[in-house]
Amino acid sequence: MAFAQTDHSAAQDKKTATESVSEPVIRVRDLNMVYRGQGTETVALKDANLTVDAGEFVSLIGPSGCGKTTLLRLIADLIQPTSGELNVAGMSPREAREARAYGYVFQAPVLYEWRTVLANVMLPLEIMDFSRSERRERAARLLNMVGLQDFHKQYPWQLSGGMQQRVSIARALAFDPGLLLMDEPFGALDEITRETMNDELLNIWQDTKKTVVFVTHSIAEAVFLSSRIVVMTPRPGKIERIIPVDLSYPRNQETRESREFFELTTEVREALRGMH
Amino acid sequence: MSKLRQAVPVLAVLGIFILLGYPLALVFGLPLAWRDMQDLRKWEKETVTAQPLADVSDRQTLRFDEGFESGVLVYQGEPLAATYTQDGATVMLETPLETVVMWGATLTPVGASEHVYTVGEAVDAEDPFRAVYVGDRLMREGSSPPLQLPDGQRTDFTFRSPDGPILVDDALIPRDAYQTDGANVIFADAPPFGSNVRRITGDYAVLDASDGSFYVVTPPQAEIRLAADVIRLAEQLQPVSGDPHRYRFGREKVFDNDRERLLYVNDMPLVDQNERPAERVDGERREFLFPSERGIVTIDSVVMAEGQSYTRDGTLVRFVDPPVRNARVRQHTDYYLTNPDAGTVLLAEPPASDAVVWTSRYTVYGEPGCGPNVMACFLALPQHPVPFPHWIAASAVPFVQKFPLADERNIVRATLYTTLGTLAALGLGGAIGILLAIAFVLFRPLERALLPWVVASQTVPIIALVPVLLLILGNFGITIQTSLLPTAIIGAYIAFFPVVVGTVKGLRSVDPLSLDLMKTYAASQLQVFVKVRFPAAVPFFFTSLKLGVAAALVGALVAETESNNRRGLGFAIIGQVQSGNVADVWILLIISALLGIGLVALVDLAQRVIAPWERT
Repeated sequence: MAFAQTDHSAAQDKKTATESVSEPVIRVRDLNMVYRGQGTETVALKDANLTVDAGEFVSLIGPSGCGKTTLLRLIADLIQPTSGELNVAGMSPREAREARAYGYVFQAPVLYEWRTVLANVMLPLEIMDFSRSERRERAARLLNMVGLQDFHKQYPWQLSGGMQQRVSIARALAFDPGLLLMDEPFGALDEITRETMNDELLNIWQDTKKTVVFVTHSIAEAVFLSSRIVVMTPRPGKIERIIPVDLSYPRNQETRESREFFELTTEVREALRGMH
Repeated sequence: MSKLRQAVPVLAVLGIFILLGYPLALVFGLPLAWRDMQDLRKWEKETVTAQPLADVSDRQTLRFDEGFESGVLVYQGEPLAATYTQDGATVMLETPLETVVMWGATLTPVGASEHVYTVGEAVDAEDPFRAVYVGDRLMREGSSPPLQLPDGQRTDFTFRSPDGPILVDDALIPRDAYQTDGANVIFADAPPFGSNVRRITGDYAVLDASDGSFYVVTPPQAEIRLAADVIRLAEQLQPVSGDPHRYRFGREKVFDNDRERLLYVNDMPLVDQNERPAERVDGERREFLFPSERGIVTIDSVVMAEGQSYTRDGTLVRFVDPPVRNARVRQHTDYYLTNPDAGTVLLAEPPASDAVVWTSRYTVYGEPGCGPNVMACFLALPQHPVPFPHWIAASAVPFVQKFPLADERNIVRATLYTTLGTLAALGLGGAIGILLAIAFVLFRPLERALLPWVVASQTVPIIALVPVLLLILGNFGITIQTSLLPTAIIGAYIAFFPVVVGTVKGLRSVDPLSLDLMKTYAASQLQVFVKVRFPAAVPFFFTSLKLGVAAALVGALVAETESNNRRGLGFAIIGQVQSGNVADVWILLIISALLGIGLVALVDLAQRVIAPWERT
């Protein structure tokens, strides 16, 4: 609760503090996840090792079934690992979840249709017992940030898919968690909307200095957004390679058309293809 | 404007339904009308009697009101010996008679009324031979009942004749106590159930037979006298060719059970003494003893031929073949009506060749009681299972006005009472439904244990359950007469089921990602219920509530039918069914349907207010 209620500058203070002792936000060591069905066992994640530092934007990329969503859900404590060690913000995943250490953005917007856009953004704040004025103030600020201030009275079905996903991002940021877990948030959007959303997300990341773990199956999206790309392969799901992205900031349309961008996408594509 | 356009097809369908009512009314009504028309018991009976002389002043040219195909003049119980020729209703005598009438009592006026006269002593109201004269002129008695039977509630009646004073149970109805439009008469007060309503169609009618009072339509200018006897024109029966025993009445469809039929051969009256044998008809016995020594023997109404089927030895009849067990063996002393439809009689003794066989009185079926044709009978049906739509519409206003607002049977009050009952039932059923649904979602074992019983509860027919429930509640002093609770419980019993099912489905309708999201907020179970499950269930809840409100209405109506507190639409429906007011039953049906639609609309409105996010 204390973590959640820290304001912007306090969060940054905390972040610098964690950076100074170089405590990673996420530490994954020899993590295994096996789904047991009736007489079958599916190894969704095998011996995963990953460290995410504060302020990083890490993308998990790979084909379907490579365990990237499983890894994200393990971090979020929505499922529990079969074996291995997992640390989130210096705590066990469960403690981190109960301390509301992260915001989660699902593949679908998961908006409550009986709530207006504003009320949807205020939902986590209601649950976390923020004061009424604080709720309004924060929700309004975040809707402003995602450019939906004029739509706050609308119901979700009145919004386009891209707008709905923006509401969902604003909601994940509402209680100001240090870590943002995003599971293919733009997967269902068309290419043009997706690029716009990518630009916005990058801006938000740079403004808020959040740590982001981002699941995608779009190479261009991963390269454009990330500071590091984790390439995963399926059956069994495991981490194949980690590619650092050293494209300079600010990244924009020109970045997408640059040679470095092209080389990095090629590198990721080859890494993905290398698994065959 | 667009709303209007939406309403057009709906109204068009309504119009088609209303128009369909007409052929449907005929399809359901015409067979009943046909049945009524065929039912001889309901036919009008007409008494064919010897006609009294219409004008007693002329003693040579006698005029009668109506003639007979073959008439015979009779006076003092026997055919007149004089020679005469007949031309329809006029008879010309060769020589004038000395007397054509023997006078009886003179009628005296009663009180100041110019219309009421009395003989001073009791008279036979049904006497067909009564003849009343004003001066020398015959007065015609006549009255006819309406087509409809008085049921104690009906005020509108149709008579066969377009004018004439109206009597109810021999009391004259004042002219300002009814409205008349030709043959249709509307009473201010409904004539009592089973009362004798009639309209005077002749010159006079007997008001009270016990004191011999008469109502005379036109105040008489001369003395009114009863004839003790008068020359009459009677009907002569015609021999059926080839059979000296067989004669034919002038009219067909003779009423065969007529105890007052009078047949004569010259001055000898004939009787159809319907004699039974002394012995039981056991299927073996051949010999039977009858009271008389002569007569026509029949077995099951079939005439037996003497010499062939039986032989006679005084009062003993010996059959060749024994009549079958329990057959109706009868002996008809003087004559037997062999074919009532054709109007033929068989005489036991063939009359002399110059004898006159005549009748002073017999009864025939005249017209079907309901009217001259099927359509008239359809229109005169006392109850139409499917009335014409405009009849329903026409009886709507009198129906609504039937009871004043102060009377609990008033239709507005009945509708309100049923609405209250339904809403109470819905409230109770809805609350039980929601609580059960929450319990089921929270504790799955509870659902597994109770859901089969919840389903089973709905297989119990409500109509069987209601009396039991009322009995149980009655033991606690809670009766439907004094409390809405029984109605609420009965309605709730069937209304809660859709609510349980719908709400459980709604509470479970939350998608797994929504629950995952709440998990990432570390939300408590209570928060999940309040913030996610409940709102998600709201549309399901309202949909099931719309089913529930219809069920609650059924429950309330059924409960009301079991009560005798005269309140509610259910009671009204049963009451109107029992008193046979079909049009009113239809009106109540329509009101109940509109109430159902209205209540569903009310729930819909509540949904729009409470759950405005629903896209429509």
